[in-house]
Amino acid sequence: MSAITPSTRPEVIEALVSGVDRYNPSNISILEDYLFHQIRSQEYDCMANLAILKLYQFNPELYNPDVVVNILLKALTSAPHADFSLCLALLGERDIYPPPQDEPDVLPYLLPRLTQLSSTELEILRDNYTVEYIGFEDAVRDVVVRAVRAAFQKIGRDRLSNYLDLEGSALDDYLSGLAWQQDLDSRSIVIPPNPDNRIEATVVRESIQLPQLTKIIAHAQVA
Amino acid sequence: MSTRPQLWTTEAEIDEDLAEVDINVALGNYGQGQVAYDVVGIPPVLNNSTLLAMQQQIAQQAALSQIPEVVKRFIVHFHKAIVDQNITEITAAYESGWNKLTEKFYSKQEWPEAEIIAPLIGDVRVSLLPVDILGFMGNSDSESPPPLSLPDQWLWDIIDEFIYQFQSFSVWRSRVRQKSEEEIQLLATEGGQVWSCYSVLNVLYSFIQKSKINEHVAALQRGASPEEIADIVGEYGSKPLYQMLGYFSIIGLLRVHTLLGDFTLALKVMDNIELSQKAFFTRVTACHVAAYYYVGFCYMALRRYPDAARTFVSILNFILRMRSYHTRSYQYDQINKTADRMYALFAICNALSPSRLDDNILNIVKERYGEQVTKMAQGEEGLAAFEELFLYACPKFISANPPPYHDASLLGPYLETPSPIMEPAQHHLGLFMNDVKNLLAVPTLRSFLRLYTSLDTAKLASFLDKEEEDVVREMMVMKQASRSVSRATVSSSQEKERIDVRARPNGSLLDGETISTSDLDFVINQNMIHVAETTVGRRYAGWFIRNTEHAQRVLDTLRATPLPVVSPTPLPGHVQGPVNDAKPTAAAARPNNAWGATKKVEIAA
Repeated sequence: MSAITPSTRPEVIEALVSGVDRYNPSNISILEDYLFHQIRSQEYDCMANLAILKLYQFNPELYNPDVVVNILLKALTSAPHADFSLCLALLGERDIYPPPQDEPDVLPYLLPRLTQLSSTELEILRDNYTVEYIGFEDAVRDVVVRAVRAAFQKIGRDRLSNYLDLEGSALDDYLSGLAWQQDLDSRSIVIPPNPDNRIEATVVRESIQLPQLTKIIAHAQVA
Repeated sequence: MSTRPQLWTTEAEIDEDLAEVDINVALGNYGQGQVAYDVVGIPPVLNNSTLLAMQQQIAQQAALSQIPEVVKRFIVHFHKAIVDQNITEITAAYESGWNKLTEKFYSKQEWPEAEIIAPLIGDVRVSLLPVDILGFMGNSDSESPPPLSLPDQWLWDIIDEFIYQFQSFSVWRSRVRQKSEEEIQLLATEGGQVWSCYSVLNVLYSFIQKSKINEHVAALQRGASPEEIADIVGEYGSKPLYQMLGYFSIIGLLRVHTLLGDFTLALKVMDNIELSQKAFFTRVTACHVAAYYYVGFCYMALRRYPDAARTFVSILNFILRMRSYHTRSYQYDQINKTADRMYALFAICNALSPSRLDDNILNIVKERYGEQVTKMAQGEEGLAAFEELFLYACPKFISANPPPYHDASLLGPYLETPSPIMEPAQHHLGLFMNDVKNLLAVPTLRSFLRLYTSLDTAKLASFLDKEEEDVVREMMVMKQASRSVSRATVSSSQEKERIDVRARPNGSLLDGETISTSDLDFVINQNMIHVAETTVGRRYAGWFIRNTEHAQRVLDTLRATPLPVVSPTPLPGHVQGPVNDAKPTAAAARPNNAWGATKKVEIAA
């Protein structure tokens, strides 16, 4: 999961999340307000959001689908961390598979199947649920950027344009924001070196510490 | 720019870690720590109606005469041990006597009621239900707890059994279809509130808070003096009974949160508990094993497979070493079952994030789950093997909330939904399988990349008979699969800097940094894949040290052995070697023994 204690977490939330007060249903609104603060200000606090889901788990009458949707969207954009799956684990099997007949577009129903969604369903998702999430599209792009940064030293412009869903000058602006240089000759983008896209073949050698030899040395003394 | 720290370079520390396990500590001394417990003294039962009392007494005497003689003797003996506070006797009586007699006489029925055995030991009722102990703690703020002792093992069993009851009840409650009208009625009314999650957590948290165990452990870790600690933990916290109950409650919380699917919180409650073979909980083997099992599983749920694998390897090695000492314990069967499930979980971790962590454990896994191990490496066809092992080895997940017994209008539709949805284990299996399916292409890609140092993506796609863009996406998945947050580097750097362990806070189990978990790494430059492999050089030194040490032992044994007395007239037929007249066979066998021993070394090494 992503950062256990984000630096942006206020003290009051820290006290809530770390103590037994996290089980107190009357604190739900504090945590929910904090979630909407995260949504608006591009912050993310997985532990605090899991605390909301925990309260929903123990007090089903508190359950608020809008909140759950936003928590799941936040968790989704933290990929490749396992936050999304950790959130779903806390949502009871009932909550995420509601009978879909009258409301097929209920997001908690859609999200767990995210990878199998049809394009219409995806559109419903985008139009109805991501509006409140400030910077949702950029958050999704961040997921892409993390994946590309780790796997590539150089990536074709068309491929990246496709991944980021950006073209022309919009793409140029985005790339300069990342400080990624373009190589115009090969129509490609150079990814700055980082611990994941630098590889080297190594041979792991054993390292022997003195304590491992104490028995032998001691015996040599006696003998 | 440096590359990611490698899992491979941290492995040596695991061995060292294990070398420090003190089996004697883990086994024997359940009773040595001074442990106190309280007897809830209930005044002799005085019935208002004498007649009723007499009738009861007659009935009780009849019941008493039904109790086997050996059980009566045991009860008297057990009671005396508790009154005398003889910890050794209590431990022996609990570990062997109680469990043997339960198996022999009371496996199908309850032990006799306190009233029935009262004539044997007087009217003292001992209540060891956690709720009752807690009630006592709550009511007696002004008084000091009476100093009575109980073995650690027993205290762990109290907490363990408490959670087991909660788990069993929750499972029973969730099976709506098997309920009779009467049971549904009961669950709809007062029964619905029994064993709610809140009540269970309340008991565990109360033990933890009352005993101030978290503060206690933190103080120990920063090296506080006994006086300081006594000040911090207060009256209850200084009594070993509450200390241990508090401590075991933390492990209990780990288990309850895991059962409810809250894996981060499960690891978070362990913040103050050092997960090492030197930890406090190793005093009770069952607790030790349980702690590692649940921590390992939580790491799997967090997709931290290397950490999960390390956790399992560490405890499985311990169980292997302990096996020869512990076979007679009544916990042994349970420990073995848990170990078997951990081998299965390790097999899964190793399939998703292969490592050469421990060849010994890996070989046992291949022996037990060879078929599944082979299948799990075969992509699509292996999915069933993952499911099978996961369902076999996962904890017995429970639903936090009962089915809607209180409302008949909801209960009907509830019953109509397809049944797999009702099983929490299926829910968690689904989430786990999502990850497995994501990683499905990885083993094949890895096996291809092993053959090359550089390879064109189009060429790789044609090998795999896939679209080039799809393969590139799979490569990105593979890259992410080869990175994991792990404690491996955290703990090894701690190991290196260990000047005063107690001065260093242990750090949360949730901590970690991103490491490379695969021996095969790659990077894509436009359309060219470059591959780099990390190989582990042969470990000569370890082999040399082990064999030198063994040679030294053999030399010492030889030197300590008296010289054989040469017989003046060798017997015909026994020409080889000197033969002792008195014991010809033993003397002839002696040289063989010595060399037989060195042969063993070769196998061991």
